[in-house]
Amino acid sequence: MNMINLLLFPIIIPFFFAMILMFFKEQVVVQRVLTLIGLALSLVASFWLIATVKTEGIQTVTLGSWPAPFGITMVSDMFSALLVTTTIIITIFVVIYSFSSIGVERERFFYYPAILFMITGINGAFTTGDIFNMFVFFEVLLIASYLLIVLGGEKRQLRESIKYILVNVISSAIFVIAVAYLYSIIGTLNMADISVKIAEINQPGIISVIAILFLIVFGIKGAIFPLYFWLPNSYAAPPIPILALFGALLTKVGVYAITRTYTLFFVHDIGFTHQFLMVLALLTIIAGCIGALAYFDLKQIIIYNIIIAVGVILFGVAQMNTSGLEGAVYYLLHDMLIKGALFVLIGIIIYATGTSNLREMGGLIKTHATLGWTYLIAAFGLAGIPPLSGFIGKVLITKGAFEADHVIGSIIILASSLVVLLSVIRIFIYAFWGPQKNELPVRDQRTYRQMMFPAIMLVLITVAYGVGAEWLMPYMTDAANVLADPSIYINAVLKE
Amino acid sequence: MITVLLAIFIPFIAACLVPFIHKILTGRRIGWFVITIPLFLFILLIRLVPSLSNGASYLYTFPWIPSADVYFSTHLDGLSMIFALLITGIGSLVVLYSIYYLSEREAIGRFYTYLLLFMGAMLGVVLSDNLIVLYVFWELTSISSFLLIAFWYHRKQSRYGAKKSMLITVTGGIFMLVGFLMLYTITGTFNLQELISMREVIAADSLFIPAMLLVLIGAFTKSAQFPFHIWLPDAMEAPTPVSAYLHSATMVKAGIYLVARFTPVFAGDTTWFYVVSCVGLLTMLWGSVNAVKQTDLKALLAFSTVSQLGMIMSLLGIGSLAFASSESTQIALFTAATFAALFHLINHSTFKGSLFMVVGILDHELGTRNIKRLGGLATIMPITFTIALIGSFSMAGLPPFNGFLSKELFFEAMLSLKEANLLSMDSLVLLFPIIAWVGSIFTFIYCMIIVFQTFFGKVHAPAPGQRPAHEAPIQMLISPMVLGSLVVLIFIFPNLLGTYILGPAMNAVYPQYEGMPGLVPEIHVWHGWEMPIFMTIGVIIIGILLYGLLRYWKWIYSVGFLQWTLDRLYNALLQRIERVASVVTKTYMTGSVRDYVAYIMLFFIALVGIGLLGFQQFIFDFSDDAVIEINESIIIFVMMCSSVAILFAKSRITAIILNGVLGYSIAILFVVFRAPDLALTQIIVETVTTVLFLLCFYYLPEWKNEYKSVSMRIRNGLIAVASGVAVTVIALLVQGHSMYPSISIYYETASRLAGGLNVVNTILGDFRAFDTMLEVLVLFIAGLGVYSLVKLRRKKGVDHPEEK
Repeated sequence: MNMINLLLFPIIIPFFFAMILMFFKEQVVVQRVLTLIGLALSLVASFWLIATVKTEGIQTVTLGSWPAPFGITMVSDMFSALLVTTTIIITIFVVIYSFSSIGVERERFFYYPAILFMITGINGAFTTGDIFNMFVFFEVLLIASYLLIVLGGEKRQLRESIKYILVNVISSAIFVIAVAYLYSIIGTLNMADISVKIAEINQPGIISVIAILFLIVFGIKGAIFPLYFWLPNSYAAPPIPILALFGALLTKVGVYAITRTYTLFFVHDIGFTHQFLMVLALLTIIAGCIGALAYFDLKQIIIYNIIIAVGVILFGVAQMNTSGLEGAVYYLLHDMLIKGALFVLIGIIIYATGTSNLREMGGLIKTHATLGWTYLIAAFGLAGIPPLSGFIGKVLITKGAFEADHVIGSIIILASSLVVLLSVIRIFIYAFWGPQKNELPVRDQRTYRQMMFPAIMLVLITVAYGVGAEWLMPYMTDAANVLADPSIYINAVLKE
Repeated sequence: MITVLLAIFIPFIAACLVPFIHKILTGRRIGWFVITIPLFLFILLIRLVPSLSNGASYLYTFPWIPSADVYFSTHLDGLSMIFALLITGIGSLVVLYSIYYLSEREAIGRFYTYLLLFMGAMLGVVLSDNLIVLYVFWELTSISSFLLIAFWYHRKQSRYGAKKSMLITVTGGIFMLVGFLMLYTITGTFNLQELISMREVIAADSLFIPAMLLVLIGAFTKSAQFPFHIWLPDAMEAPTPVSAYLHSATMVKAGIYLVARFTPVFAGDTTWFYVVSCVGLLTMLWGSVNAVKQTDLKALLAFSTVSQLGMIMSLLGIGSLAFASSESTQIALFTAATFAALFHLINHSTFKGSLFMVVGILDHELGTRNIKRLGGLATIMPITFTIALIGSFSMAGLPPFNGFLSKELFFEAMLSLKEANLLSMDSLVLLFPIIAWVGSIFTFIYCMIIVFQTFFGKVHAPAPGQRPAHEAPIQMLISPMVLGSLVVLIFIFPNLLGTYILGPAMNAVYPQYEGMPGLVPEIHVWHGWEMPIFMTIGVIIIGILLYGLLRYWKWIYSVGFLQWTLDRLYNALLQRIERVASVVTKTYMTGSVRDYVAYIMLFFIALVGIGLLGFQQFIFDFSDDAVIEINESIIIFVMMCSSVAILFAKSRITAIILNGVLGYSIAILFVVFRAPDLALTQIIVETVTTVLFLLCFYYLPEWKNEYKSVSMRIRNGLIAVASGVAVTVIALLVQGHSMYPSISIYYETASRLAGGLNVVNTILGDFRAFDTMLEVLVLFIAGLGVYSLVKLRRKKGVDHPEEK
């Protein structure tokens, strides 16, 4: 069966279900069931998509059948198919986690539709082949995230969300401006077409300036140095499931967009653009490391780890060789999964202790042994202790850096693993081993077990992702090949 | 060879099974299940010894991540065999000992899970042929050691020691990994055996020295070499069986293994010799000097382990010189050093293992291991005393114990250095025997402290709550007795060990000299009146003298640099990092969105500035531009006026109306540019927002003009103007760089294609209808947001559902 619309399913199905949920505002249980069904269907579609891309190559569809550079083209290569799938997997488990933690009030006020709309935006941004359409999908995911971040209307949420919104509005404005600049020179919006035309004029200096503008735009979303300041406090404001979704998914959209534009458009003056990207990536890692050690607050520690990971991934991208790109893809997916798992886990720790201050915790291992060991595995995974999932990605990135003669950078990458390890192991030592400081609040054991299920599942997936690296490698290689060789992407879009 | 693979995985499988079997075999009986694992593996492995001594080696590979050149390959040769036998042999004895050491009340199941985890990981380290797999197991040993040190995690010191040991060894591991990756970049392979065969290629590469040093950092951190040794004394917070097993017999020898393993790869260069032997000797001296001042027996043993590891390390360093020699007599001279290293490695495991067990018994029976509170136990605990005597005297290098033989070989190796005419013989190398000798004197002194201060002198009253001293139960004595007898047996039959165990290992370290006569020297108890024996006699005489006069010179330890320990550096560093990080982060994380936007815009201006200045492509081209009509100019002028006026507005109403003026002017511009759809949208958006704003303002308090300092206003003003300039300049520039006709030409045939007469209309409604649909969605979600913001207000007080 020839399904040219297949790549739209992971975008359209969440959209469709979000609409249906509108009719069941008060029936929370119906909403939960429908959300899960919608996500499960999306997951099936995305797996199907991966299989199709694997066997038949890049999938494209041009909406309204207007020919390629004129209409809006959606493109699904392996990179975007993998990201779409990972996004849906994480969302499923975070949604399950929400059942027992987010509270009925929020569920009655469009919590699930907002998540599904956000997924629509994220998957759309991963899939689109049109730079202006990417802007529009960014708007969709941002507006849904605004809804999620203020949902509940707590004082802290309101205070932090205004910053979040302001910063993102500014970045959206620069985004439109940058697209307009690019259009003014190149005269096209289709990403494959842009790539062709930039190649034809051999990327004059003005295009490199626009490349930097794009880096600023996506860097604000992706939280790179020195554009991440808005992130730590804003992310800490909403409840844990929302934090988990933001932490695992939103910054990664920015990272994806940088990766895409810096491998498809701006590839002719690597000495300037990618060198610059690399320096920023390394500074991002250092700034993230400093932040991760600075706090005794669970959320902040993990949030700063997001920033470190963004740096690591972009450093891999900046190498512009197969190993570096393969590593970046591998590490990107790893980081999405592990961040989802970690946020859910610290959510449970906070639930069990009633605080997110590390100094007030202790002795949890006696009462919450499973939680402790699950957390420890996730922590080692994050730090890249082999054979867990963070390891292979980092090795590939370092390998890429050696091939590109960036020895110092690769040492910083690996040294950052240590800071990561220190920052997360500190949580384990304080919260689980240390002496018990306060009386634990009384908690419902059933709720606790319900919360543990998605956490354990996510951790198991990351472990499998690490140990089963070989099984996944062909997919990573496919993804990296398209990134390394833009002509594959171009030919798929502008065929005939 | 499936046996080797089994050897690695059986402990892991068993570790997973322990929690379940513990339910059936309750209490300490679980130990009897656990002990079968190392015992079985020991027998399995020792059956392969004869074939190994005939020159066989077992390589087995199966793919794990072949696309990244990571193969799960195991390689059993003579060198791995020594370590594998130590791991399983000492492992069996330690498990046996621990069965009676641990109390029933403790989490015995957890203890054995960790211990088996470690055993598997350690076997993995010595049996892996692939560097990445080796690294995997290397870090696993660090983790299992972390868990074992913190076995009594309720103690602060245990947690401290666990964290310290893990941080230091994992750091080393990461450096080692970088080294491995460099080797991979040079050779394209992670396989050890292939690396060894490509040593010329590696030596010629510019990454040779960095790779070597990085691998060595890994080895030095793991084997507690100066200055990374500081974790080992703190690791003594672990239960004693763990100290005996991990922190003296096996894990700390992983670094030795690594150095021996990489000798064929790196040893061609004398840097290797200098680094390995100097660090080793320095560690030996530092460890032994520091051991003397300890009062806790376990801490003393820890420093003694540090010192002994240094000694083995220095021997390996000298052994590496064989690669740089060409004369066969010299080669034999230097290979003998490696032989001594491997020999002492085994000896050290036997006597140090027994000593740790003795200290464990003292601790267990008397409740203390402080030498100031011990004494006169020789008659009360005769068997324990005998074992301690054998262990200590062997460590001191006295006959008739195995330590004597290896100590003699050690001196011989140090003396052989002066024969090495290949080095530019500097004084440093001539100092080697002297340092070795001084280190040995201190070793002698602390051995005497163990024996005499614990077992002789006056008997102390038992600590409150402790029973009076008595001999330990026989079950706890079996393991140290076995090790003690080995100490003597090896002294009597050293060449049995030499031929079967050490010989194959020598072939592994010196693949190119395999089968060379003299590679496996015969060990003699007596070599006649030569320099080594004089040195030993000197050690004994001066050692006894200094031991007797100990209280007269012990004050040395309380002065000057000896007080200054690296521990303090580590503690200060860790604390400082956290504090500095906190200060730095809080300085820029002001929580004020104005600052954040300022950072972003400054960065934007800076980058655009650098980009433009760097390229110097100021091509402005206005030739194609349409003429600016008078009505357009008026609209623009109105917009400019209103936007400037907003800054000076005194009330909200004024500000919002001026904002409205701005918005409606844009709408008019759209009309002028013949885009009615856009104009309509803009008018609706503008109307709705203005109305909403006005509605909200009804509820808001008076608009207070926040006080801002003049400098702040100037800063913000400059940033704002600069941002505007930057945007405008680029806009004009791109106008001048227009290089392609726009795709909009296509849309100009809109009436034919889409049946609409207005281009903008067809773009919004047909060509790019997808965008429009999504923008509608955006508005819709925004509506939901406003609705829920108004309707859903949480009660005050509680902020987060998790924190209720």
